Amino acid sequence: MALRCEQCDGPTCSRWDGGTQEADFNTKRKKKVAEIYQALNSEPTDVAALRRMAISEGGLLTDEIRRKVWPKLLNVSTSDPPPVPGKDLREVSKDYQQVLLDVRRSLRRFPPGMPDEQREGLQEELIDIILLILERNPQLHYYQGYHDIVVTFLLVVGEKLATSLVEKLSTHHLRDFMDSTMDNTKHILNYLMPIIDQVNPELHDFMQSAEVGTIFALSWLITWFGHVLSDFRHVVRLYDFFLACHPLMPIYFAAVIVLYREQEVLDCDCDMASVHHLLSQIPQDLPYETLISRAGDLFVQFPPSELTREAAAQQQAERTAASTFKDFELASAQQRPDMVLRQRFRGLLRPEARTKDVLTKPRTNRFVKLAVMGLTVALGAAALAVVKSALEWAPKFQLQLFP
Amino acid sequence: MASEIESSLEASFSNSCVVPGASGCLPPARSRIFKIIVIGDSNVGKTCLTYRFCAGRFPDRTEATIGVDFRERAVEIDGERIKIQLWDTAGQERFRKSMVQHYYRNVHAVVFVYDVTNLASFRSLPAWIEECRQHLLAGDIPRILVGNKCDLRGAVQVPTDLAQKFADAHSMPLFETSAKSPHDSDHVEAIFMTLAHKLKSHKPLVLSQPAADGVALQPEARPALPCWC
Repeated sequence: MALRCEQCDGPTCSRWDGGTQEADFNTKRKKKVAEIYQALNSEPTDVAALRRMAISEGGLLTDEIRRKVWPKLLNVSTSDPPPVPGKDLREVSKDYQQVLLDVRRSLRRFPPGMPDEQREGLQEELIDIILLILERNPQLHYYQGYHDIVVTFLLVVGEKLATSLVEKLSTHHLRDFMDSTMDNTKHILNYLMPIIDQVNPELHDFMQSAEVGTIFALSWLITWFGHVLSDFRHVVRLYDFFLACHPLMPIYFAAVIVLYREQEVLDCDCDMASVHHLLSQIPQDLPYETLISRAGDLFVQFPPSELTREAAAQQQAERTAASTFKDFELASAQQRPDMVLRQRFRGLLRPEARTKDVLTKPRTNRFVKLAVMGLTVALGAAALAVVKSALEWAPKFQLQLFP
Repeated sequence: MASEIESSLEASFSNSCVVPGASGCLPPARSRIFKIIVIGDSNVGKTCLTYRFCAGRFPDRTEATIGVDFRERAVEIDGERIKIQLWDTAGQERFRKSMVQHYYRNVHAVVFVYDVTNLASFRSLPAWIEECRQHLLAGDIPRILVGNKCDLRGAVQVPTDLAQKFADAHSMPLFETSAKSPHDSDHVEAIFMTLAHKLKSHKPLVLSQPAADGVALQPEARPALPCWC
């Protein structure tokens, strides 16, 4: 598979061997930069175009552009004064000790050549940002891995803007991870196997019989891969993509990584330890652009609404208490009594032929579709409604089965 | 709770590796596997301990464990090749409740870790023991208590006699060690090997090859062992 050199942040890249290729790359890149600035400068800002740019090949290209575009993707005004802490949060925050422990240990998140003093200063800022957001949003709960997300914003946009951006992100894309419990996070992980099943039933069945679970993907999901990728350029490229898309996109990307490693998984011993070990060690040389494009395809082809039932069944299979969910109103609207039978005879009904060409179908308007989907759900109450309705379907389903 | 775990164990045995096309299931390795879960508060050194045992050295730097990490080492005990699997868990409380549960399945032993320089991590032990009791089907599997970071002599907050009293009250052997100190590397080794010997001398362990019927794999009731090290 031919790959663009997505590692490069600049026009000089040793992996471009041919002069014409390089010229071609530079032309494309210049064109994209121009398009991004045009979208930024139009009145009002063409956010839909910016979303498309963030998703399409190469993403937003440079940190300079990210500083301008990420706020637009999150609908955060850069002219508003950043929030300021009212009191000494380190004295009063119940999360301070945990945040401190996690940030102190997060040395790998900083550029290798950075002087200790500078890094330590950034770590202090990182602690301040996290505590400030938690203080301003008492409904949000800190989780180990949150610091991996915040550090990415800190390194790209600086302390002031990072606070505003992460606060917005925390109340939207990351909201489910920051509940008082991780039940909603677990629900989102439950989308992983159904997505894999749609594309590669054999791989799905192998993983199910190994009982590998989904925790290998937990850190991927709740850190947007910031915890597991060592090259910062890959991390920010993925953040471009996720910021422009539906909040569930990271789980599609996780599925695409597993699917990409199909052969390795199938060659593994069919047990929890072997498969968990293999999958939790993420390869550092993934073809990111290809995988991003595939994740987008899968999202369009199998949107969350279509996978809700399977995710619920996954939940049921794991026999998690239904009592943790309070609101069954939305769920009741989506009841499907035939689900049990469908699930039971899933093997027989599986449309093998359909899954084969999932990844080969040309999807001309993919970026537009993805961008529109991102636009309609990523911001405002709609985002939560979509995720929540998907999530809350599960317990209702269980109640039906076990009245 | 217990009955749920029981039935999920049954399910896991009956459906293991019978899916057509799951070619990776065969051929079975016959070496026994000891599955050990390592739990305790954040930053007590669970990752360092497991890394030390499996990789033979102190890791350069470790980060917060998110979810569950897995490390493995093959050892030979009395001429038998045994795989020791260490499941290294996240310390933050929120991960225990709904996340780590899955990984308590079929665990043969539990290692509780606290930091001798952090009294709070010692005070959390009853909660961890209770947590463990809720997840595990058999309440009598070997458990050990490890006080880590003994190299920080000046900063000790948990005196040995206090820890020993606690360990005795819970019928666990206590080990104080340092995953970091080069002098203690044999000690870390000895802790896990002691555990492995103990497990080996006990019968009901799962082979890496699934048995023909699930009955043989049911954990057996054993008398409590107040001190076996």
